[in-house]
Amino acid sequence: MFSRILVANRGEIAVRVIRACREMGIETVAVYSDVDRHALHVRYADYAYRLGPAPASESYLNMEKIIEVARKSGAQAIHPGYGFLAENAEFAKRLEEEGIKLIGPSSEAMRVMGSKTLARQTVTKAGVPVIPGTLEPLATEEEVVETAREIGYPVMLKAAAGGGGKGMRLVRDESEILSALRMARSEAKSSFGDDSVYIEKYIEKPRHVEIQILADSHGNVVHLFERECSIQRRHQKVIEESPSPFIDDETRKRMGEVAVAAARAVNYENAGTVEFLVDADKNFYFLEMNTRLQVEHPVTEMVTGIDIVKEQIRIAAGEPLSFTQEQVRQVGHAIECRIYAEDPDRNFFPCPGLIERLRTPGGPGVRDDSGVFEGFEIPMHYDPMISKLIVWGKDRAEAIARMKRALSEYVITGVKTTIPFHIRVMNNRHFIEGDFDTNFIDKVFFKEEAERELPEPEVAMLAGAIERFRRELRESLRSKEISGEGIGSLWKYTYRPGFGKKF
Amino acid sequence: MNYYVSFGEREELISVEEAGVAQYRVTLGNKTFVVDAHRVEENTWSIILDGRVFEVDLLVGDEEISVYLNGDLYPLKVVNEQQKALSRTKETAEGGKQLLTAPMPGKVVKVLVSEGEEVGPNQGLIIIEAMKMENEFKSSAPGKVKEIFVKEGEVVEGGDKLILIE
Repeated sequence: MFSRILVANRGEIAVRVIRACREMGIETVAVYSDVDRHALHVRYADYAYRLGPAPASESYLNMEKIIEVARKSGAQAIHPGYGFLAENAEFAKRLEEEGIKLIGPSSEAMRVMGSKTLARQTVTKAGVPVIPGTLEPLATEEEVVETAREIGYPVMLKAAAGGGGKGMRLVRDESEILSALRMARSEAKSSFGDDSVYIEKYIEKPRHVEIQILADSHGNVVHLFERECSIQRRHQKVIEESPSPFIDDETRKRMGEVAVAAARAVNYENAGTVEFLVDADKNFYFLEMNTRLQVEHPVTEMVTGIDIVKEQIRIAAGEPLSFTQEQVRQVGHAIECRIYAEDPDRNFFPCPGLIERLRTPGGPGVRDDSGVFEGFEIPMHYDPMISKLIVWGKDRAEAIARMKRALSEYVITGVKTTIPFHIRVMNNRHFIEGDFDTNFIDKVFFKEEAERELPEPEVAMLAGAIERFRRELRESLRSKEISGEGIGSLWKYTYRPGFGKKF
Repeated sequence: MNYYVSFGEREELISVEEAGVAQYRVTLGNKTFVVDAHRVEENTWSIILDGRVFEVDLLVGDEEISVYLNGDLYPLKVVNEQQKALSRTKETAEGGKQLLTAPMPGKVVKVLVSEGEEVGPNQGLIIIEAMKMENEFKSSAPGKVKEIFVKEGEVVEGGDKLILIE
């Protein structure tokens, strides 16, 4: 086992990894940029080294500097967390050359899974279903018509050079395909200067469901069941849960087997996640494999009781998995809400700033994975995630009720947060019924929210009037004091809450 | 004190008076409540109303107050009677002439402009103390001060002419 591990990350995930190391009796080496000197990950570690100025390119993305710190500090392994260098095959390669163990897969597995085309080819050979279609551009109209017929309507035409929905056309019927093709080509031409177009099966009501896998260096690969990640805003996950309310046991079993096959196809080692799109008929298709620890790994930990970070470290140290597939059980239900420093009432505008007050929820079944504290200044240079709130319940209904309860106890002031947004989602009928897909937040939820009648207008209005009354009272007292008129006696105000506080 | 509180289309006249330590007698329409309201943090109030407990976060602007309650945002506008009267006064100013009148009885604390002076929009013109509060009245549009009808220290009645701007 390692005696010292460098954590090449910051924020909540660095804290998460350091906690695991502490509990395993492993010393930790933190790295930090100039704006993170006060951060928890630095203060919880045994050793800490400065990387450089705030911009990630000069600090947390500086490979050579991190390798130098690993050398200097005597760390035998590096945990990359997620983001930054976590899926950088070049970094993995450099560590292999340096003889420093990366707590993650080989650079080769990272390279293959990091390339959309290579990954698709590799997993297809292993029998993993992928979204039917071509990744290669189609040359002629006849080819397009023929391919569309082969994969079956509805299909999506996509610009090969594309992105952001430009040059994309949904085609439901063969009669529309040629005109759609012409439009997609001209849009692709004008947007990207390249009119090549490829074709893919269109997935109706797609759900994003992923399988957590663990693979050791002795050829054992297991999966830890699924996570439902369809609650997304602008293609970014915001709420995750396990199990998925949509997946049945049969589908779950097949997805698990397929995910293990995908991992085996690249001789995968360590923790990884195989992402799938699942259509309304529960057909599932490989999207990509994330070759690292996921943000949402705690929901899997809560339902399986397996500490994924500790398993990662044991695997990297060459130990075999301590359990078999048959021993992995999914018990109860877990939900995670990502708390961001963003204003949900102003289109999720980022709000970096000083955390003035912080009160974290507690009680049964509640876990708060956070990297902040009262008085911490959230830097503007990195991801605005403050924390992840995770709850466990005996079933989904209890988990939702517990999450609502925990969110209502969570107090963060000084910055706007997405806590109100999460409360609103937890109260949404479709969410409660498990009736949603990846379009839910952007297409359904916001629309319903705009039309929803707020339940307590009178309480809000009374509170507003009382606040104003208090404020005027205070201001008039103050102006009396200044003008020297005095007001008889101040004593009766001195013990009143709020009196004398600054605004 | 009376306040006009608006939330969306709805506007209510709410009167507030003290009824003990952190207790307020509040009337909204034909209903009167005794509200127990403690400011427990910088922006957070714990409120007990008819035995029900509410935790309310308030982000306070001049007239705008954002109320967060159970994850919902209630954007409010809260004005007192002087401000309400002033906004009515402003509404009557038109046709290049602005006649500023006293919205309620009070004392002229300070006149901020002099006759013949050019003023910009939203420029402070006069400060009137009414109900122990100093209120600054501003111009609604640019113009020239034509006439000042009052002097500093003078007591005015509601409706008295204060300043004419052309």
